[in-house]
Amino acid sequence: MKKESIGYVVVFTFVVCVVFVLPLALAEGLTKPRVEANRLYAAHVAVLKAFALADATTPRDEVERIYAQSVKEVSGEDGVWKADIGGSAAVAVRYIGPGLWGSITAIVAADVSGSRLLGLEILDQVETPGLGGRIDETAFKAQFAGLKVGAEGIRVGPAGDFRNPDKEAGRVDAVAGASRTSDFIGQIVNGAIVRIKTLGGTK
Amino acid sequence: MKGQSAKIMKDGLWTNNPIFVQVLGICSTLAVTNSLKNTLIMALGVTFATAFGSATLSALKTWTPRKVRMIVQVLVLSFYVIIIDIALRAFQPEISKQLGPYVGLIITNCILMGRAEGYALANKVWPSFVDGVANGLGYGAVLMSIAAVREFLGFGSLFGLKVASDWFTPWTIMIMAPSAFFLVALALWGAKTYNASAEAKKKTAATSPGGPNPGAVSATK
Repeated sequence: MKKESIGYVVVFTFVVCVVFVLPLALAEGLTKPRVEANRLYAAHVAVLKAFALADATTPRDEVERIYAQSVKEVSGEDGVWKADIGGSAAVAVRYIGPGLWGSITAIVAADVSGSRLLGLEILDQVETPGLGGRIDETAFKAQFAGLKVGAEGIRVGPAGDFRNPDKEAGRVDAVAGASRTSDFIGQIVNGAIVRIKTLGGTK
Repeated sequence: MKGQSAKIMKDGLWTNNPIFVQVLGICSTLAVTNSLKNTLIMALGVTFATAFGSATLSALKTWTPRKVRMIVQVLVLSFYVIIIDIALRAFQPEISKQLGPYVGLIITNCILMGRAEGYALANKVWPSFVDGVANGLGYGAVLMSIAAVREFLGFGSLFGLKVASDWFTPWTIMIMAPSAFFLVALALWGAKTYNASAEAKKKTAATSPGGPNPGAVSATK
C-alpha cells in the first residue's frame, strides 16, 4: 500500500488514534478513584475550614476524623452540611456564583438563623492570579469569621489590606484592583445567607 | 553523538532559544509568569511534552503520510500533555487546582508544534529528544527569570515565600499581563543586542589582518 494513498492514510490514522487514546483511557480509569477521593477530600477540608473546625495545617487523617465525627450532610439537600459548634447548631452551604472569568464555588457557614457567619471557603475559582485570585488567601477569607449579617446582608468593600474588617457592621475589606471579583464574593455570600435562612436549620 | 547533543543543548538554551530567537511560547510566558511555582510546573510540563513528543514523532516519521502529519503531531503531543494533567490531578491535586487550565493549554504552546515540525520530522529519535529537552529548558530558563522579577516586585515573594520587608509596596502592574509584555520585550532586546554585538566582534576579528585570534579581537576594542 502506498504511503500517500487514501487507504493507508485511513488505516494509519486509525491505528495511531487507537495506540495513543487507549492508554489515556486506561490512565484516566485507573486514577479515577484517586481523583474522586481528592475531590471529596478537598470538599471536606473546605467544609471544616468554613466551620472553623480545621485549618491548612490539619493532617489528612485528622481532617477525615473530625469530618466523620462533627459534620453531617443534610439528606435531600445538595451541598448542605450541619455541625455542632461549641454547643450551637451551624449550617454550611455550597453556593455557586459568577466570577470575572468563570464560576466561583464557595462554602459559607453560619449559625442556623443566618445572623452571624462562621467562615468562608473558596472551593473553586479561576479569577486573575494575584488580583481576583486573592479571594482564596487566608487573610481575605478570615475576615468573614464572626461577621454579623445585617438586614441587607454583608458588604465587601472598600479595598483594604484585610486587617480591618468591621465585623459588627457586616463589612470586610475588598481586594485592591479586583472590585468586580469582590462584588461577586459579596453576592455569593449574601446568596448563601439567604439559602441558610431558608433552610432554617430545622432539618 | 556527545558533541552533537551538546550543540543541540546550546542551541535550545541560547543560540536558538525558543523565546529570544524563535519567539515561540509567548502566550504562556504572559499567562503564568506571575508565580515562580506555576512557571516551574509549566516549564517542566513543556519540557516533558516537547521532548517525548518530538522523540515519538521522529520515530513515527517514516510511516506518517504528509497529508495527516499535523493531525498526528497534535494527537501525539496532546497524549503527553493529557498524561501530565492526569498525573497532576491524581497525585498533586493542589498544584493541579492552582494551574487550572494552563496544563491543558500546553498543547497550544507553539514550541511543541514548532520543534516537531521544524526538527523532529527531519532528525533521528535521540537528537529530537535532546532538542525537545533543550528547547523546554531554554523556554523554562527565560520564563523563570521573568517570573522571579514579576513575583518579587508584584508580591514581594519568591516561590510564595515572603522575602521583602513590610515597607515594600507591591507593584500591582507586575502581577498583570502587561508587565510580562514589557519584561519579555526587554529580555528579547537584551539578548538580541548581546548576540548582535558578539556577532559583530566575530566578523571584525575574522576580517582583521592576521585572522581570528585573541590579539585581533582585543585590537578592535
